[in-house]
Amino acid sequence: MNTTTTTAPVHVRGLVRRYGTRAALDGVDLDLWPGVTGLLGRNGAGKTTLLRCLATDLEPTDGAIRVLGHDPERTSERTRIRGRLGYLPQNPEFYPHFTAFGLLDYMAVLKELGGRRTRHDEARRGLERVGLTDRRHSRVHRLSGGMRQRLALAAAMLGDPDVLLLDEPTIGLDPEQRIRFRGLVSELAVHSTVVLSTHQIEDVAALCRRVVCLDAGRVIFHGTPEELVDRARGHVWEYDRHPGRGHTAWRLADGRYRVLVPTVTREKAPSSTEPARKPVEPTLEDAYLLLTGTR
Amino acid sequence: MSWHLTPAQAHEYADHRSDDVTAMSVEAHITGCAPCRALLPTDEEWLARSWADLRDVVDRPRRGAVETLLSSLGVRESTAKLLAATPGLYRAWLLATVAVLTAALLAAHHLPRGSLMFAFSAPIVPLAGVAMAYGRGVDPAHALTSVTPLAGQRLLFLRTCAVLIPALVLCTSAALLLPSTHTPWSAALWLLPALTLVTVSLMLSRWMHLGMASAAVGLLWLVALTALGVFENTTPLQLIAPQTQMWWAAALAAFLTTLLWRVRTA
Repeated sequence: MNTTTTTAPVHVRGLVRRYGTRAALDGVDLDLWPGVTGLLGRNGAGKTTLLRCLATDLEPTDGAIRVLGHDPERTSERTRIRGRLGYLPQNPEFYPHFTAFGLLDYMAVLKELGGRRTRHDEARRGLERVGLTDRRHSRVHRLSGGMRQRLALAAAMLGDPDVLLLDEPTIGLDPEQRIRFRGLVSELAVHSTVVLSTHQIEDVAALCRRVVCLDAGRVIFHGTPEELVDRARGHVWEYDRHPGRGHTAWRLADGRYRVLVPTVTREKAPSSTEPARKPVEPTLEDAYLLLTGTR
Repeated sequence: MSWHLTPAQAHEYADHRSDDVTAMSVEAHITGCAPCRALLPTDEEWLARSWADLRDVVDRPRRGAVETLLSSLGVRESTAKLLAATPGLYRAWLLATVAVLTAALLAAHHLPRGSLMFAFSAPIVPLAGVAMAYGRGVDPAHALTSVTPLAGQRLLFLRTCAVLIPALVLCTSAALLLPSTHTPWSAALWLLPALTLVTVSLMLSRWMHLGMASAAVGLLWLVALTALGVFENTTPLQLIAPQTQMWWAAALAAFLTTLLWRVRTA
């Protein structure tokens, strides 16, 4: 990474990507810096399309992208970007007859990581990172879904890329593996720009320095997790009974109801017709739900 | 252990001045005697490197038959790995190729005008293989591999080579077994049309999926053959007749030049 650069490692202006007449991305502006940035949004909000555009897998319909200062529309610059990029696609698939070690070695060839010994060392390091050393000679089709996901993660992290794009990386991982994943990503994010697209809000809360929320192909929030949570203050309440239809509410384990109120309301004495309530500290999940208006 | 190394023995051994018998005795002894082992100078870096090399030899992934064969033919190790790692559909194509060419040979030997089947199919066989060699939908790991530095034209050309070589060998072998083949030259008449169709398909892949491009080119070939079969005074075999080879050569040169120029200037 060039630390003297004044341009963000990932720089996006006016990005539009259409599928036919539908705009999956509709004028996205972003600057992403080293550290982990969480990418949140409903299904179909444009997260995967954005990652695929950044990963040079998909050409934008309009707008400009610069990754590490290079323009992915130019072939030579695209190759340079790819040499310093790691990408974990959603639901990755493999050649089933490959072994875990063989697959990483093959990916290392494609990433041009060097001669045979260098590649093998890098593949071993990748397997070690994701806890698959003892399954290195197992064929991919014999690995469980979680193991395959970890293998794909190891493939994305080969060569310690400067930009790492992760699309739903924790699907299929058990809690212990997710903790391990967080350790790996946070370690790499000291020097690299990591973009983490996920529905797991707790992963974003644990890892991300910045959060980007997409809705219908547009950025509706870009800031720190704390700034997102601040927006939800005064909007989150606990009621002693269900507030009635029209509210976003769910029952808690103690029988009370957590209620998200889109407009800020003041604390007031309960009337005979209204349930008793008290304001509570919002979580990142509350803030995200309020922002996207879903539950 | 009844003896230990003297400093003089250790010095001579380290300088490679011990005779063979002494050297072997020293080596047997230091295997189990840490104090004597400590008398000998150790190159930690060399040791670590040697262990790592040894581990790599023992632990490296086993190479498949195709990769081993390619390496023994002098293909670079990394290139052999790329060529051998073709998608599963490639194997299906190879089997289909053998079946089609066998059927073409049987038709040529047992049916009147049966050699037409070879003329129809031979230029399309490599085209079908190229269509199945690269791209979304035919390569299961395409999402992972398509964003690597080697992806794109370089991997496409490598995979094309992986398909073209067996296709050319199989088609040439079949052509040599045709009843109408009397010279090696007549067995190679399908070659230039086949290479031209593949080149056009690669050119079109810039604007459309490679599979679609190959299908379009293949369809065009079949339409041309059918048209020549329908019109009077023409025969489909004219497309691969010796007189048309010059035109195919010119077309191949033009398309190949355009393709290479496009790759260089992209």
